[in-house]
Amino acid sequence: MRPVRQSLMEYGRGVAGGLIFSLPLLYTMEVWWAGFGAHPWRLIIYVAATFVLLLGYNRYAGVRRDASMTEVAIDSVEELGLGLVLGALALWLLGRVTGEMSASEIVGRIVIEAMVVAIGVSVGTSQLGGDADEGMGEPTRAEAGATDRREHEEIHFSGQLVIALCGAVLFAANVAPTEEVVLIAAEISPWRTLGLALFSLTLGALVLYFSEFRGAERFVPGGSNAVSIFVGTVITYAAGLLVSALVLWFFGRFDGQAIAMCLTQTVVLGVPATLGASAGRLLLQ
Amino acid sequence: MSKLQKNWFEWVVFGVSLLLMAATLGYLVYDGATLSDAPPKIEIHLGVPIQRGTQFVLPVTLSNREGQTAEGVKVEVTVRGATEERGEFMIAFLPRGATREGYVAFQQDPRAGEVSARVVGYEKP
Repeated sequence: MRPVRQSLMEYGRGVAGGLIFSLPLLYTMEVWWAGFGAHPWRLIIYVAATFVLLLGYNRYAGVRRDASMTEVAIDSVEELGLGLVLGALALWLLGRVTGEMSASEIVGRIVIEAMVVAIGVSVGTSQLGGDADEGMGEPTRAEAGATDRREHEEIHFSGQLVIALCGAVLFAANVAPTEEVVLIAAEISPWRTLGLALFSLTLGALVLYFSEFRGAERFVPGGSNAVSIFVGTVITYAAGLLVSALVLWFFGRFDGQAIAMCLTQTVVLGVPATLGASAGRLLLQ
Repeated sequence: MSKLQKNWFEWVVFGVSLLLMAATLGYLVYDGATLSDAPPKIEIHLGVPIQRGTQFVLPVTLSNREGQTAEGVKVEVTVRGATEERGEFMIAFLPRGATREGYVAFQQDPRAGEVSARVVGYEKP
């Protein structure tokens, strides 16, 4: 059994991580507004999607890599709970949630903020820890790799994909709710949109394969083979675009828009999302 | 499968988290099930005018009782006394079940005349 002191330290890291990654969202007007504009069904899908992402992240990159699925699920529930508490506290302190508001408004605002806080909690718990307590009874990354190399290889692709999606969400969610995305998409020319897409692809390839980014050697399979570089970059960009579209849909940016406008917005937000799926992915391991 | 290594404190955190999550989802399901697509039903309540310098400010309370969120709600208040005076203000968001307050300023004491108030219009969110 873990000592309570260690649990407290883990929660402490989670709290810090949760706030670090969600701070821009807590201070963004559009996010508060999205809280009561969003339909309850949409909020439920949002909570469910976040939970799935948390499960994936905790499974492949979380604080306890050797954990069973039960433990991963328990950790994910805890992170959601911490996210809700932290989100509520921050919004209340900022005066964005008051007693005069209706229940549906309060719940909407808190849920929207809390989900990104929860992902931040998960990332913070596993990333902000020092080496000292990693040694406490849990196998380190190197040991785990050595004892079960085959399993490590197996989880490689799906694991990397999950972490890439997490990184993309963390980066894209901070930009997605702002009016700026809509404004850019409305005014931009098709050639510039194409330019943004190529820019995203180049960024992804640069980070993953050509800049000796931290962790790139260990977590990006394939090496310098041209085909694997191409495949890896395309998959990363696809992950970025997928997250970009989902986050935009969630914030109601697709409601009543023409397909072309939706696509342009997705590409515009695809830049930060791809950065998250490449650089974020390597930093979150 | 490794044995769970949780201590009592972590179980408490887990219990509270589970409860919060269930309550949130439960509420959202309830909210989704009872939500109607009908336009908002906005009630206007006029308060007691307060004299501020040479002006009288009249507190106006808006409540969105049922239906959807109303965005950019424009309220118009008219006083018919010695002269006819019209005042208005906007409320950016009036979510379902929410109450918001505003003030309208007049040159004459609204109590001396006949006061009428109406919602001019609003956007769908």
